[in-house]
Amino acid sequence: MNKTRVAITGLGVVSSIGIGWQEFWKNLLAGKSGISSVTAFDTSKHFTHNGGQVKDFSFEQYFSEENIKKYSRASEFALCATRLALEDSKIDTENKNTIIGTCIGTTLGSGQNTEIINEFLINKDIEIDNKIICQIPPHSTVTIIEELFYFNGPSIMFSTACSAGNYAIGYGFDLIKLGKADIMVVGGSDPFSRVAFTGFNQLSAVAPEKCQPFDKNRKGMMVAEGAGIVILEKLESALKRNARIYAEVLGYGLSCDAGHMTLPSVDGVENCMLKALNNSGVKKEDIDYISAHGTGTIANDRTECLAIKRVFGDRYKDIPVSSIKSMLGHAMGAASALEAVTCALAIFYDEIPPTINYETPDPECDIDCVPNKSRKHTINIALNNSYAFGGNNACLILKKYSE
Amino acid sequence: MNRKAVITGTGVLSPIGIGRNTFRDAFFQGKTCFKPITLFDVSKYPVKIGGEITDFDPLNFLEKKGLRELDRSTRLVCSAAKLAIDDSKINITEDNTHSIGVSIGTTFGSLKSIAEFDRASLIDGPRYVNPSFFPNTVINSPASRISIRFKIKGFNTTISTGCCSGIDAISYASDFIRMARADIVFAGAVEELCEDTFLILHTFGCLSGSNGTDTRCCPFDARRDGIIFSEGSAVIALEEEKHAIRRNASILGYISGYANAFDYTSEGYFKCSGKGLENAIRISLKDACLDLKDIDCIFSSANSSKELDLLETNVIKKVFGEHADKIPVTAVKSMLGETYSAGGALACASAIEALNYGVIPQTVNYKEKDPECDLDYVIEGTRKKELKNILILSSDFYGNNSALIISKYA
Repeated sequence: MNKTRVAITGLGVVSSIGIGWQEFWKNLLAGKSGISSVTAFDTSKHFTHNGGQVKDFSFEQYFSEENIKKYSRASEFALCATRLALEDSKIDTENKNTIIGTCIGTTLGSGQNTEIINEFLINKDIEIDNKIICQIPPHSTVTIIEELFYFNGPSIMFSTACSAGNYAIGYGFDLIKLGKADIMVVGGSDPFSRVAFTGFNQLSAVAPEKCQPFDKNRKGMMVAEGAGIVILEKLESALKRNARIYAEVLGYGLSCDAGHMTLPSVDGVENCMLKALNNSGVKKEDIDYISAHGTGTIANDRTECLAIKRVFGDRYKDIPVSSIKSMLGHAMGAASALEAVTCALAIFYDEIPPTINYETPDPECDIDCVPNKSRKHTINIALNNSYAFGGNNACLILKKYSE
Repeated sequence: MNRKAVITGTGVLSPIGIGRNTFRDAFFQGKTCFKPITLFDVSKYPVKIGGEITDFDPLNFLEKKGLRELDRSTRLVCSAAKLAIDDSKINITEDNTHSIGVSIGTTFGSLKSIAEFDRASLIDGPRYVNPSFFPNTVINSPASRISIRFKIKGFNTTISTGCCSGIDAISYASDFIRMARADIVFAGAVEELCEDTFLILHTFGCLSGSNGTDTRCCPFDARRDGIIFSEGSAVIALEEEKHAIRRNASILGYISGYANAFDYTSEGYFKCSGKGLENAIRISLKDACLDLKDIDCIFSSANSSKELDLLETNVIKKVFGEHADKIPVTAVKSMLGETYSAGGALACASAIEALNYGVIPQTVNYKEKDPECDLDYVIEGTRKKELKNILILSSDFYGNNSALIISKYA
């Protein structure tokens, strides 16, 4: 069972800095910001007005088939990213002897339709569209992917908030290792949510202008949206069909703070990284890059840096640690999936995207955050950190493919 | 792969009974729970009946501190977890907590909290929303509160796959035990009765009595015309076999096989070829290394809808062929109603009792035969039978299908 190796052979992205991994990657390396003023809903009564919305997304551009109807925004993002990732992988999805499954992570996902219904309920002269109500269940996202692509394997929706993408990728990896699927479409998707925007505003956790992870004057996170999908398959079958292998999944670890609903804990985060290292069978000396959870809030960045110091000891300053949330904002359930895509590309191209908006060093966050400019750096093994409300931590480890 | 997930405890909160013993007595007696809904105003809906837990007081299970901000789903699932922890006699300590996890299935568990939080921001303005209710808007909030209350640090997972959530959460937990990602997992599901979820089911048109007829729940019966929505929570203590033996735990059975398979022919609301459920059953049998004839009883997820009851009947016939007539089939939803995400976990909790008592619970309220639904349903009262392997099914509106086999531990 444990001999099965799992490769990443396709990537799909919908983000505030680009759709498709090529544009996403180009903009990540250029340090482009996807933050703009929020148009998804009225923010005039909120304290802040900026976010990482995906503004140039047209579902019809990717699904022009006549019989395809409109879905929740979370589902449309996920469908689009899935199509891009499948095309990128060149996998033959028609072969019915192959078991293909889907694991998607989300925070609110299709449940965002509740917000649309609330507008209807309050503004009573509008009729409620039944389709919008019927798509509220979060798993309508994962099931519509399986339905439209004719998959027959497991379909699991992980509602584990901001680390959900890593949960989904991790379980997809397990299912392949357990022999329960040949190919897994895994990742995360979340729409721009008023509930999240309002909630983080009320916690005073949203930055007014820009997201500045690890900066002394950081003012908070940026609510965002998007989807990230990676295609996992047995390394053996990827090699057989001469697929492009971006990276290999080595393992992952989960932990729970069991402390506070919203504040992260150093112990929980430290445990999670250690579990991921242990599960992957790699030593801490082997980590060449860390994609940080790096939300840009005072509490998160301080906690994460302290945990990194504890895990990596004297060596912590030698490991580049960057946060792409400085560019895209925090895409909730999609965030760690987008970061997994980033890790795979960083490994494939030996290049690290920067943490932008970095101005003033914070002695509490004295890691090497790859400030403002991307960097060439040989990456053999990368660690992808993610944490969430409820203390749900998930860390994933990817490696450059070699025999 | 020698690691096996055994069952060492259960915790149940259901409209027919709270706690393992009360619950068992109730479903062996064939008790039902359907009453006018009091949790919200049903006057604008044609259907007024639901399965509400009317005698639930969280203070019977949980410490008062921090209880106020918890929503109903969270109170239910934390209480079920507490019952499961006590029943299993597992002592959670700083030494073992990192190998203990939580895996909960819920789809609408936070829906009321989400909808109310958003409505408050629209009506009162975003600056007047109480931030202490924001954490309740993440769907993992009920599960995470279990970890927080009982200091469980190994992992915490929430799975939302509609009617399959309960079985999927238990399967996920079993995988984690098999793969040595954990030694103990509290796995289960929860769903609360609230207007926001009721509205969705009403919109689907799947509630019995929608057309002004009497509301009734009678799986496999010719008179069936829809579901009755209920609430509930069940949490099962799953434990690695050797770990359970080492601490002399009482072992109630083990998880022998499971599978989850999608049916892409699904056109919504159980209109599909049945291929997905068929795959789920076949793969779970293979996973358990069992033959068709080894299955002693099937806990169907039949919920009194025209479509699902017929679908499961047809799939059972197709998979089991000549054995199909010889396997007793029962539907505990005849007593419990459709608890949506919690259904699979409650079925598993009942199957554990059936396994240990050698008694198959009855499908109550069965009167008129449907010529198309002609399996050996347990309708004449409970049935005594030596049970070694019970197959539990779940099918979801959107095409998910899950199967779980629990077996007697010898």
